[in-house]
Amino acid sequence: MLTHAVVITGKELIDAIRDVRPLVSSAFYCLMGPGIVFMVSMAMNGRGQDRAGGSVLIGMISVFILVSAFLGGMNVAMDALAGERERKSLLPLLMNGVAPRDVVLGKWLAVTCFSTAGLTINLTAFLFVLSRAHVPIRSAIAGSAPMLAAGLIPLALLAAAAELGISTACRSVKEAHTYLSMLVFLPMGTGMLLVFFPSVTHGWWRLVPIIGQQWQLEHWVRGDLSASQAAILGLVTAVLTGLILWGTASLLGRDDVVYGRY
Amino acid sequence: MIEVEQLRKEFRRVVAVRDVSFTAADGAITGLLGANGAGKTTTLRMIGGVLKPQAGQIRIDDLAPVEHPRAAQSKLGALLDHIGLYPRLTARENLTYFGRLRNILAVARLHERVEEVLSLLGLESMADTPASGFSQGERMKVALGRAIIHSPANLILDEPTNGLDVPTVRSPRSLLKSMRRHGTCIVFSSHVLEEVHTLSDHVVVIAKGSVVAQGTSQALCEKTNSATLEEAFVRLTTCEGAGGC
Repeated sequence: MLTHAVVITGKELIDAIRDVRPLVSSAFYCLMGPGIVFMVSMAMNGRGQDRAGGSVLIGMISVFILVSAFLGGMNVAMDALAGERERKSLLPLLMNGVAPRDVVLGKWLAVTCFSTAGLTINLTAFLFVLSRAHVPIRSAIAGSAPMLAAGLIPLALLAAAAELGISTACRSVKEAHTYLSMLVFLPMGTGMLLVFFPSVTHGWWRLVPIIGQQWQLEHWVRGDLSASQAAILGLVTAVLTGLILWGTASLLGRDDVVYGRY
Repeated sequence: MIEVEQLRKEFRRVVAVRDVSFTAADGAITGLLGANGAGKTTTLRMIGGVLKPQAGQIRIDDLAPVEHPRAAQSKLGALLDHIGLYPRLTARENLTYFGRLRNILAVARLHERVEEVLSLLGLESMADTPASGFSQGERMKVALGRAIIHSPANLILDEPTNGLDVPTVRSPRSLLKSMRRHGTCIVFSSHVLEEVHTLSDHVVVIAKGSVVAQGTSQALCEKTNSATLEEAFVRLTTCEGAGGC
């Protein structure tokens, strides 16, 4: 029932907002990328306008944006399910007539709010930095922002689903922290790989989540983003998100997840 | 009414519940009595619809939690061994949250019911305190409040007074007695013989996953020629009492 999911989302939002330190920490991480790019562009003292220097800066920007989609909701995801298991509040939730599907949907919506907020903070800061730093960008980027959002917002949804899935499989917040920290290496590593080996993004690879968004980001900054690619990538990412959420709800039906290992 | 017939549950090669059958009537307290690991908690978890039995039948007011878990859970309040609360929410917010999940969506009705439960459990003075600072007894009371927020017709409790001091135990015990008077079917597990003897109208003795005897405390004593329930329990559940293993 959708009402249950909405009630759970509301509670998770209140709960997360009251836990200020992790939120501030996530916000700092999301602002770290724009800060670094700004300082690097200043240090390059105009060489960012060169083709080589500009490519490096654009690569850095895209990696930081991808990572921010994963950072915003990480702490909330940790607490939302691994935290429930650790403090033994998951069983009471499932015994109160709430279907696992609604538990996952409600918590995912809450995590999504924070992952999207992280992404928004990061993008806003980058727009500010780009307006002041010496990076070779086209004036068309503002106009293509909706297309970019079509690709990036699904990435924030995917990040929230992946984080929640991992959190569900972990018995404690500490365990979830270990694995979710590793998850952040996925966009970071993929992004770095594509910066140094851009030829990988040929053909259907552009429709693979994270790789596709990286390609999209680089082309957004250069001002030649493709609407059809953005739409198909958004769809593929949304489908993958749905599959992860379905798998997470199935996990909540398992005895060892609800009660711990026997 | 809760009816349980020939329940069986295995975890890998361990048989946690072998053969448990009993009927818990409305307006009565049924006590599940057994040693640690006897199968009481697993039985209650299956009744609660969060653990599926490998064999047997459960009916809660004629609804089977295996086939219709949500519908059966709507007739049931449960306080099992997991009593975790949300530490950043207050007692009132914890209860309000579960009230909403129990579909008490009208704001005025929900507010009224939350205040009623806080009062029943003597939690008014700490209603707006975050649960992170609660003692074990206070956490147990809020967890009990969470289980009865929707005024269930059936209530299952797993060792509800475990770890509580004497003054704290009085409040949940008097609440159970009051709910019994109002016709609620209550099943609770315990290994505290005095508690089972005092509260229960019907006692189900479980050992090694099977029901070995059931009836009133007095009937169990008579059956085993024992002067006390403790003696009867020992005779029913140990090799010595059962005439060898």
